Amino acid sequence: MTADRRPEQDPRHPDEHFEPYELDASIPWPLLGISIALGVWGAATLFDTRRHEERAQVERVEDTQLATGQAVEPGHALFEASCATCHQPDGLGIRGAVPPLAGSPFVRNGPELVANIMLRGIDGPIRVNDSLYDGHMPSFASVFTDVEVAELASYVTSRWGESNRALEAAEVAELRGRVADLGSFRGGAGVAEDTGFALDEQPTFASGTSQPVSPEISALIFEGRGGQWSCASCHGDLGQGRENTPRLAGLPTDYIVKQLGDFAAGRRINESMAVVVAELSNEEKRALGVYYAGLRVPSNARPDLGGDLERGEQLAREGDWSLTVPSCFSCHGPSGFGVATEFPPLAAQHAPYTASQLAAWAGGQRTNSSLDLMEHISSALSAADRRAVADYLASLPPVPAGSGDMLAEQGEGQ
Amino acid sequence: MVTMGLLLALSFVVSLLALGFLIWAISNKQVAPDQHDARVIFDPGDEGHVESGETATSRPYNFDTVRSGIDAISARPVAVLLIAATVWLVVGSGFGLVSSLKLHLPDWLSDHAPLTFGRVRTLHLNLVIYGWLSQVGIAAMIWILPRIFHTPLRAPRMPLIGAALWNLAVLLGALAIANGWTDGEEWLEIPWQLDLMLALAGFFFMVPLVKTTLARQVHHIYVTGWYFLAGILWFPCLFVIANLPYVHSGVEEATVNWWFAHNVLGLWLTPLGVGTAYYFIPKIIGKPIFSYSVSLLGFWGLALFYSQVGIHHLIGGPVPTWVATLSVVHSVMMFIPVIAVAINQHITVGRNLWALKESLPLRFIAFGALMYTMASFQGSIEALRSVNSVTHFTHYTVGHAHLGAYAFVTITMFGAAYHMLPRMTGRAFRWPALINAHFWLIVVGFAIYFFGLSIGGWLQGLAMLDGTRPFSESVILTKPYLEARSVGGALMTLGHILFAFNVASILLPQRAPETVRTVPAE
Repeated sequence: MTADRRPEQDPRHPDEHFEPYELDASIPWPLLGISIALGVWGAATLFDTRRHEERAQVERVEDTQLATGQAVEPGHALFEASCATCHQPDGLGIRGAVPPLAGSPFVRNGPELVANIMLRGIDGPIRVNDSLYDGHMPSFASVFTDVEVAELASYVTSRWGESNRALEAAEVAELRGRVADLGSFRGGAGVAEDTGFALDEQPTFASGTSQPVSPEISALIFEGRGGQWSCASCHGDLGQGRENTPRLAGLPTDYIVKQLGDFAAGRRINESMAVVVAELSNEEKRALGVYYAGLRVPSNARPDLGGDLERGEQLAREGDWSLTVPSCFSCHGPSGFGVATEFPPLAAQHAPYTASQLAAWAGGQRTNSSLDLMEHISSALSAADRRAVADYLASLPPVPAGSGDMLAEQGEGQ
Repeated sequence: MVTMGLLLALSFVVSLLALGFLIWAISNKQVAPDQHDARVIFDPGDEGHVESGETATSRPYNFDTVRSGIDAISARPVAVLLIAATVWLVVGSGFGLVSSLKLHLPDWLSDHAPLTFGRVRTLHLNLVIYGWLSQVGIAAMIWILPRIFHTPLRAPRMPLIGAALWNLAVLLGALAIANGWTDGEEWLEIPWQLDLMLALAGFFFMVPLVKTTLARQVHHIYVTGWYFLAGILWFPCLFVIANLPYVHSGVEEATVNWWFAHNVLGLWLTPLGVGTAYYFIPKIIGKPIFSYSVSLLGFWGLALFYSQVGIHHLIGGPVPTWVATLSVVHSVMMFIPVIAVAINQHITVGRNLWALKESLPLRFIAFGALMYTMASFQGSIEALRSVNSVTHFTHYTVGHAHLGAYAFVTITMFGAAYHMLPRMTGRAFRWPALINAHFWLIVVGFAIYFFGLSIGGWLQGLAMLDGTRPFSESVILTKPYLEARSVGGALMTLGHILFAFNVASILLPQRAPETVRTVPAE
């Protein structure tokens, strides 16, 4: 109020008997305007929740279709996404590295054998027509549902195997139960022996991927020693890992040894690992590396960070040159199976672990990669990209036992 | 297609239209005959002008509460409740200070389970909510309602029984919490067996207030009356439903938990604080409130929007998205009643700034009313998903909670107590300077507290969202802000001890009758 009116109007010592009341002024128009505007916004926002409703509806329908075996996509799209990276879109494979599907006796034997190989994977030498391959077909048991395996096997055999039998999801389920504990096929000979199909002459399988474990190392792994808890208490009985604890099964021996050494020397920082590696001798580190490199365990990793899988696949397969990020597979091998000691397998690694390691490189908490390669790549990725690529890699099948080492040897030999 | 979104939007629009019609109808005398006697006091040309209202301090709005004997009857229960509340305030702030210190001195007092953080913080919360705020609020209601209804308090002995039961229940509840026996939900920790006792005590508080209302000598209920009557209707419903044992479980339990916890602020403490400010601001200044229509909008807006606000605590949780969205919308709609209350209260204070120099109690109450506006604006913005994703699970939320429960309600209640006490006792405060010291201690202390937690909490939230920084960084960076909070909290606790001293000094019999000063501290 204006100052001139105040002196005679201010009672200074108000009447003690005054009781409050309200004047009759109408609601100011700005308040009315704000109220109406907020009302419109509120109604619009509430109406908008139907988008969430619709998305939830779509997700529920998809879940139901998967559960009841009525997936909408036929095998083609799955093949393009998951098989063609190695076997090529035309099914001709890569000479000397990946066997062809077209004309393969394995494929000619029908969808049941194809499904069996997809579920178990092949670990050992294999002959397709006149060429020998060092087989490391991963197990897709953890990656595909029964419906997807049935569709893929039917698709592959109808396209390249002159078969028109459509495999049923129920048959795959039954097969899955039968082969669950058998592990990978031991090379082409193993396939012929286990299934009884005629598959030409297959090379003999030389055992040696799984090494015997000494009682001392076994105690380290399963019981711990003194103040150091066991490996299995966090990484699981089979080295399969969980969430932010990495999967160790199938990592190359030299990679594991290097990381253990880095934890001990403080080149890689982790409070838990620093404690458990402190008392390990070099021999023990190597023995642990050999043990975990030889483990064959299906993947228990899932894309559970809500990342954009298409974006993750793009980063993994093509990279993003606008960010100067090369593809993951250009160093870590096709399908992220790993190359040499410096490029560990990424496939089937737990998404939270991969994402947290990328974040640690970006934030400068992990610095033990060669030539600062990962530091640069991780910093260039956004948080959403890190989640996307970690989720995509978690969706890939695991590398078969032993092949990590085999690839490592190949890499060193070159 | 009929979707949940469509149903929600339609029912929202319908309720808004109903609200608009209600306010239009009441303020245009369509349904309320009691407006008649509100009008007759104005000369036809005087309606709707604050200036003319100021000159026409009309006789019907003068009422001698002393001569009518109203205050003498209210004084006893008010004094009992005020003393008990003050004790719990001091004890409760002590626990608050201890838990604040523990956040940056984690090994301090950690040897005994009752002194660990989880229990000390819980004790702080329950003692200040049930021990201090609820009791001092009921005291204010017992003082104000008979005054605005021009009739003495009915059944004046019942609040005394209620106070005895209530304080026993709070004491037993505190012992239960200290020994680890709780219901396991925030704000509902007191075991439900003891809640029965609190509910019974609440019945003893309610009956006299309702009886007084029914016996009122005025037709028009002043705005403070709506808030108080709604509060004593809402809170028992909230309290009983949320405490029903073995009914709520899982996600539903969390939903009911936050529905209750947030409604304690909005439908219990807010009506107490707003109602008290609505009475004492014009009372002390001696001028009427700006607009009846605006006060209608403020009250009915609170009634319509507040009850759904609490679920914004579960944004991102496993509750259906539409429930959280409904809560976000209602939180933002709270702008309407808050602006309405702000217009009514701040215009009255703003046009009479001289009164802040004259009256220490008004300084507390006007500051508290201003903080109501601030806390509510902040709360509406905090409920938005974009802001919530940063501030949720950080100390920022704690700062916001104290802006509402402390800076608004508690400080308003300090002012109310300082205004009531001389009129209850017929004595004056012997050391008004201590009231002033109390004011500055808590205002400065709270400023340090609030800005410390808000800045620290925001940085903490940003650090937690940044995947490239380890979690430990988000904890370590809050340390200086937590230390600042302890400094602020210590100043506030010191202020509360001063308040307790002031209350004791005026209530205890004084040796020599002092020469009565002209309404000191007023």
